[in-house]
Amino acid sequence: MLPRRYPFCFFVVLIATLLISEALVTADAQTVPPPDTKLALKAALVVTPEFCATKFTKGSWATVKETFEVGKIACAELEPALQKVFSSLTSVTVAPSSGNAPSTDAQVVLTPRFVDVGAGVGVTAFSNREMDVFLEWTVKDASGKTVWIETVQGSSKHHMGNVFTHSKNLKLIVSDSVRDAAQQSAIKMSSAVELRSLTP
Amino acid sequence: MVTNNLASIVRTMTALLLASSLCVASTIPDYPVSHPGDYAVSTRAAGLSIGVQPVEDPKDQETYFRAELKAKGFVPVFVVIQNEASEGSFLFDKTKVTYGPADSTLSTPKTGSRGADAFAAAAIPFVGIFAVPKIISNAAEVQHNLLKKEVQSTTLSPGKSLHGFLYIPVPKDAPREKIHLRVPITRAGADETLVLDLVF
Repeated sequence: MLPRRYPFCFFVVLIATLLISEALVTADAQTVPPPDTKLALKAALVVTPEFCATKFTKGSWATVKETFEVGKIACAELEPALQKVFSSLTSVTVAPSSGNAPSTDAQVVLTPRFVDVGAGVGVTAFSNREMDVFLEWTVKDASGKTVWIETVQGSSKHHMGNVFTHSKNLKLIVSDSVRDAAQQSAIKMSSAVELRSLTP
Repeated sequence: MVTNNLASIVRTMTALLLASSLCVASTIPDYPVSHPGDYAVSTRAAGLSIGVQPVEDPKDQETYFRAELKAKGFVPVFVVIQNEASEGSFLFDKTKVTYGPADSTLSTPKTGSRGADAFAAAAIPFVGIFAVPKIISNAAEVQHNLLKKEVQSTTLSPGKSLHGFLYIPVPKDAPREKIHLRVPITRAGADETLVLDLVF
């Protein structure tokens, strides 16, 4: 009886191991929250429609062609992440420096731009692959001078997935990477001496 | 008997699965970082030090990129910049860096993704169906590594340094001319820009 059950038990252990490893990988994508001390600055976060529509298509007909829709997720994740950093944060869809922008009393204007994304390709559906998102920040003061520029890297790992689960796994790895980039942005801004020096 | 055979097949498949995952997960080493003055070409101005090192040896390219980039029409140039001043921050904006032949006008270096795209187009030869997944995976890993090692825009606070690669297009089948690299760096919150010129 026991030898007949052996392959079944083996599969149960294998699946359990894979589920645990996926849970560990997802946990790895979590990051340390920024410090509690907020910067006493009124900030305007520029999220233009173009930024929110940012997507990167990678691969070719000979490889796996994938589209990474990073902008849509960033526009949902950046504001809540950065509200923990500044005493006041307002989202605007037009850069205050441009001619048709509404007037703002912001002391700093935060403008994000996606530089690029990169992702490995797993050999099998259960292979873990890593994705990195590079998000560049330009911060200007009230006079329009650039006071801080930084590129943050958001990363995560997930299974490649098979023909049925690949789409779901792609969304997961993109959303976790962008969420990590938002958290890393908050940490970098919170600790930037150039921004701290602007506080009264 | 049938059960024993089935068990051994499952064990073999699992071992192959784990082995292939480990192959993909193998990491590509980082290029060693030293003081800017230790590299082939360096200069210093207003408390800023910059050093550059073209990585042209095919063995080094294989070690740090798992690819021969000269054959793809690029030379990777390692850049290290350090703010040695005791006060004042500087802004390094990658998009402002220009290059060109030492005796002509300057252009902007290719981004890691463009270099990676060029690599992707040439890196997948026609091979048997069983080899394809590994070849695809390696190409994606190489592209991802190029992007991760690319120098990114950042703020150089006092004592801080940055490093990374610029990918400069060169002729594939001819010796390259001397390259003139121009790196403008702006003082944070001011209009003052320092221009660092290097020829190698």
